[in-house]
Amino acid sequence: MEKTVSLKVNGRDVQVTAMADTPLLYILRNDLALNGPKYGCGLGECGACTVIMDGVAARSCVIPLAGAEGREVVTLEGLGSSTEPHPVQQAFIAEQAAQCGYCMNGMIMTAKALLDRNPNPSLDDIRRELSGNLCRCGTHVEILRAVQRAARGTR
Amino acid sequence: MTKNPHPTPTRDELLRSSGVLLIVDDIQPPPGLVPKGGTPTPKPKELALFIAVCEDGAVYAFNGHVDLGTGIRTALIQIVAEELDLSMEQVRMVLGDTERAPNQGATIASATIQISAVPLRNAAAEARRFLLQRAADLFGVPVEDLRVEEGVVIAGEGNRRISYAELVQGQHFQIRVSGTAPLKKREDYTLVGRAAPRVDIPAKATGEFTYVHDVRVPGMLHGRVVRPPYAGIDSGEFVGNSLVGVDESSIAHIPGVVGVVVIRDFVGVVTEREEQAIKAARELKVTWKPWTQKLPDLSDLAQALRDNPSSPRKVLDKGNVDAAIAGASQRMSRTYVWPYQMHGSIGPSCAVADCNDERVKVWSGTQNPHLLRADIAWLLEWAEERVEIIRMEAAGCYGRNCADDVAADAVLLSRAVGRPVRVQLTREQEHVWEPKGTAQLMEVDGGLNADGTVAGYDFATSYPSNGAPTLALLLTGRVDPVGAVFEMGDRTSIPPYDYDHMRVVINDMAPIVRASWMRGVSALPNSFAHESYIDELAFAAEVDPVEFRLRHLRDERAADLIKAVAERAGWQPRTAPQQTPPDENVLRGRGFAYARYIHSKFPGFGAAWAAWVADVSIDKRTGDIAVTRVVVGHDAGQMINPDGVRHQIHGNVIQSTSRVLKEQVAFEDSLVASKEWGGYPILTFPEVPDIDVLMIPRETEQPLGSGESASVPSAAAIANAIFDATGIRFRELPITAERVREALHGPSDPGVQAPAEPPKGGRRFSKWLTGSIAGLCGALLGVAATALPFRAEIAPVSRPSADTWSAATIERGRQLAAAGDCAVCHTTANGAVNAGGLAFETPFGKVYSTNITPDPDTGIGNWSFAAFDRAMRQGISRDGRHLYPAFPYTSFQNISEGDMQALYAYLMAQAPTRSRTPEADMAFPFNQRPLLAGWNALFLNRTKHQPDPQQSAEWNRGAYLVNGLGHCSACHSPRNAMGAEKTGAAYLAGGMVDGWEAPALNALSKAPKPWTEDDLFQYLRTGFSDRHGVAAGPMTAVVKELSTLPEADVRAMAVYLASLGTGAEAPAVQPVAASAAPVPTTASLSNGERIFNGSCKACHSDGTGPVLFGVSPSMGVNTNVHSDTPDNLARVILHGIAQPATRDLGYMPAFKDSLSNRQAADLLAYLRHRFAPDKPAWESLESAAAHARANLGTH
Ligand code: FES
Ligand code: FES
Repeated sequence: MEKTVSLKVNGRDVQVTAMADTPLLYILRNDLALNGPKYGCGLGECGACTVIMDGVAARSCVIPLAGAEGREVVTLEGLGSSTEPHPVQQAFIAEQAAQCGYCMNGMIMTAKALLDRNPNPSLDDIRRELSGNLCRCGTHVEILRAVQRAARGTR
Repeated sequence: MTKNPHPTPTRDELLRSSGVLLIVDDIQPPPGLVPKGGTPTPKPKELALFIAVCEDGAVYAFNGHVDLGTGIRTALIQIVAEELDLSMEQVRMVLGDTERAPNQGATIASATIQISAVPLRNAAAEARRFLLQRAADLFGVPVEDLRVEEGVVIAGEGNRRISYAELVQGQHFQIRVSGTAPLKKREDYTLVGRAAPRVDIPAKATGEFTYVHDVRVPGMLHGRVVRPPYAGIDSGEFVGNSLVGVDESSIAHIPGVVGVVVIRDFVGVVTEREEQAIKAARELKVTWKPWTQKLPDLSDLAQALRDNPSSPRKVLDKGNVDAAIAGASQRMSRTYVWPYQMHGSIGPSCAVADCNDERVKVWSGTQNPHLLRADIAWLLEWAEERVEIIRMEAAGCYGRNCADDVAADAVLLSRAVGRPVRVQLTREQEHVWEPKGTAQLMEVDGGLNADGTVAGYDFATSYPSNGAPTLALLLTGRVDPVGAVFEMGDRTSIPPYDYDHMRVVINDMAPIVRASWMRGVSALPNSFAHESYIDELAFAAEVDPVEFRLRHLRDERAADLIKAVAERAGWQPRTAPQQTPPDENVLRGRGFAYARYIHSKFPGFGAAWAAWVADVSIDKRTGDIAVTRVVVGHDAGQMINPDGVRHQIHGNVIQSTSRVLKEQVAFEDSLVASKEWGGYPILTFPEVPDIDVLMIPRETEQPLGSGESASVPSAAAIANAIFDATGIRFRELPITAERVREALHGPSDPGVQAPAEPPKGGRRFSKWLTGSIAGLCGALLGVAATALPFRAEIAPVSRPSADTWSAATIERGRQLAAAGDCAVCHTTANGAVNAGGLAFETPFGKVYSTNITPDPDTGIGNWSFAAFDRAMRQGISRDGRHLYPAFPYTSFQNISEGDMQALYAYLMAQAPTRSRTPEADMAFPFNQRPLLAGWNALFLNRTKHQPDPQQSAEWNRGAYLVNGLGHCSACHSPRNAMGAEKTGAAYLAGGMVDGWEAPALNALSKAPKPWTEDDLFQYLRTGFSDRHGVAAGPMTAVVKELSTLPEADVRAMAVYLASLGTGAEAPAVQPVAASAAPVPTTASLSNGERIFNGSCKACHSDGTGPVLFGVSPSMGVNTNVHSDTPDNLARVILHGIAQPATRDLGYMPAFKDSLSNRQAADLLAYLRHRFAPDKPAWESLESAAAHARANLGTH
């Protein structure tokens, strides 16, 4: 069933009309041209599609459009830009925390949600929070450093 | 990176433009892969453009190799900027595009820096020489008096300056690479050899980067493909020959379908929107020929490889191997097995194609744009010139993934619909169809002489892999599906050690499974054997393994590296394993390995040297194994970008550790069964070792490839460390906990699969049916005589107007309707509320809910209150027909008069919907509605409810709601053979509805923790209790309705239900490891555990994982895990929860397209064993999964 849904994305009120069960991921990418969230598995297993919804990290590949109705969604683009990156993005850039970078959206968004909740995470906290985010290039070392750097910055 | 996919001019445009300096050369394009015995067809030479300096200030550099996520773009920019004295920002690096970059072959073998960068650097030097000469002429000064700063030529004291752009203004200079232009001296380098930040990362970190997945062109449509059932097999006559037919009408209901494309076994759909394509591909009815192929049995890989026809190729024969080995005092024959593995790109492949009658343009993440162009030209039967490949970055691929396949798919779909089409492969398709990193078999014979020297070394390696032809060529029949043999098993096949008698044979063979090169191509498996074997020789000779290696090495750089790494790691010489005292239950060990990656056509050449010291910890009881630390030494000669090299080393260490410990493609019936990350797990953050990188400074040496080298020693180093810890040699990968456990304690986990049982239809209902039909008929017929079989019609009335009732009454009715879940059963998935038509499968046949909107013809618009009241209390329709007791009038008879009025008022006040309910489809005698009169006579009175004056008002209110409108017993009480709810002790003792188990709500509850009043309240209110789990199936809709009731009513229901005594607190059960004790099950617990970790754990981590949107139900307390049957769990796993009870719960994806029945069975067995260890194991899990898969139910 088609449905017109209002939600807030990166601070902007938007309305989209699509099948109510369309995963939010495709709405963000195709209707709103937001390339940050990526398709990785569609099963909630890899984290590539992560956005922040009502302040919590959310896997946009398993959340239907209807589930985002009236909610506030922030994507990678909503944090900052290459000229004015958000401190977490800045930390990832400074630590060069990407090989191919396809997983980076998920890493940054999950880290951002963690730091909002706990500005002073231990290394184990970070590992645990990222345990459901997959990176095939093996950029884990740089990613962990980036999150630690971001935590230092937000402290 | 701009959003515009490609603003860069093409080579031909530049060749025609003015205001440019172009550095060009005639190059011989490489022939591409040549099968064994084939002769390469030489391609005509072509004019390659390497550097373009333009009057608008742009400086372009072109390279045929591409960036696979390794940072090669940045390193090449450093090289060009260095030679031309530009800043890095001034160089625009163009990689791979067929209309722009030279054809330098595929980006493989870590050869970009070593090989393809050479002409680029010469071209940059050529440009610099030309520009300086031109400035010198203009200024009238000697070249020696000039210097360059960021592209500006400066004379003398700086009073005369001219930019490169100005030097080419209005001119067209075209110069060939002479090779004589002087290269910048190393000591003058300011960029090369220094860490440079990657140019692409800021855009990637902010979502501004355009990956191939992000390409959007005007008018673009979305495509998905449907792959054939021969999952992951690309040779054999069935390939391209298996389609029976495609039923396009099966997707007629999906909006936006533009086309269905079928060419032999190639099937694809094109739609306006992406989600439409996903749905269409999923629902398109495609019929394939029955699968009857006999494929090689892959459960014993070593045997499968031995049985695969091969031709031996001897690449080394030195001394007299046979005699030497025959004379060995200690002979050692060893076999090493490498499993099939996946490249496992995190982003499944994607491409966009725009095809018209003249040309096709393809945006692709391919590793080899020029070869892809040839493939697409072949596919279309066009000349290559008509095909343009624009190379975009994609997710890392580490070898060949599905990038080329999807590009060809997009071309076929775009050609069919005449518009640009974007095709995204699914995770499942990428997993199944990516050309795998091949399995490999290494057999070594040799041994020691009495004096501890090596007698001989006889090495044979079997490598079944090829170039994996682009899939569309095979599926459409353009290329014959014949597995070609390629000579690629020879990478690092010759060990680095100088054994006197040595023979190396490569058994070249055709692929078995679709396979192609993967990081460390054949060198990684070969080195696993070489380095494990020498370790074994060293211990046998009682010499420290590092020392033993050094004795046999002639290569000084290798020796230097080994010594440096041993020192850095604090290597303690050892001559026997298990010298580290175990603490508690942990065994620790340390292992060493060294290798140099030798690549390209034999004898090939060497990339960087690498050596590892790996530390492992092993849990003695469970076999769980962790690589805790890796000290890795690396000698890559001069490093263009040392930071880039360091990151590559990290990546190689992590990825190869993952491959060694965890990775193995699962097969079922020789077809690829790993379709997602649970079926093919990779290393996660908590498992990543500490990594200490030692990069040997060699600034004056040639730069060497570092994309793969650091992986090569991994497997042997880890296996050697495990030997050190346990005294056991592992010669087959992956070295999983179950293998270690088995080696330590003998087999405990059955791990072996029993043959699949055929799914039995209707299995769940057998109890209802057994032996009851005859009795039922008798009973019904017998009673019918004494009850009134036909009831009088109640005269129709005209629909009362809505203002008959007060708003308060209607609101009360609304609440009652919610409590009664009217809409849950009377609404179909996409239908109007309460318009009926939802089907119910009962053991007696199919019934449909009726239309209860006030439509006079098809609904209840002409029902008087009396008619409504009778229907609700006695199950008799206005016209006198009996309603089937699927409609819970047995509960509704308990509704108070006032509530019934309000309910009637509410329903009558709603908008009417015209919708006729399908006729029930019941088998005889159940289609005889009059017989139900007898049924009523038997059962209706049993469920009559009376208030209990001993109890509180709240309790009585709760009882009233639960037993009346709430009709909880309709699902939660078992039914007798005649479909009537049981009463007494069986009241609310759990039932089955629509294939779902409705758990017991009374003392028979199986819940591991008793349901308290608060638990019940929370659960009924939100659909989730952290002590019990989440509502699924029909219960989600119930909770949805309850959430609109006054809180006091829900509380009252909780009070009443809690008083039924929902089970005693079970003794606290600790979840157990998969290993704890053998269990009588045919499923593999280890496999179940793997699937749980990869597929489920992110959301069901019990606090050990991330905080994600929605609830994170714990499996330990989940009622379904403790139930007598796996049904609910199986259904939720396979079908997911798309419509949770309340919006804040979050969603669960369906795994039916990703997990096979066997995998689901393994997962179920593991969940039961791990989280309900006190309960007996479930049986027949595969058929339970098959049943759940086939029966979604209507809820
Ligand atoms: S794409 Fe959403 S978790 Fe993988
Ligand atoms: S950087 Fe490539 S997947 Fe993480």
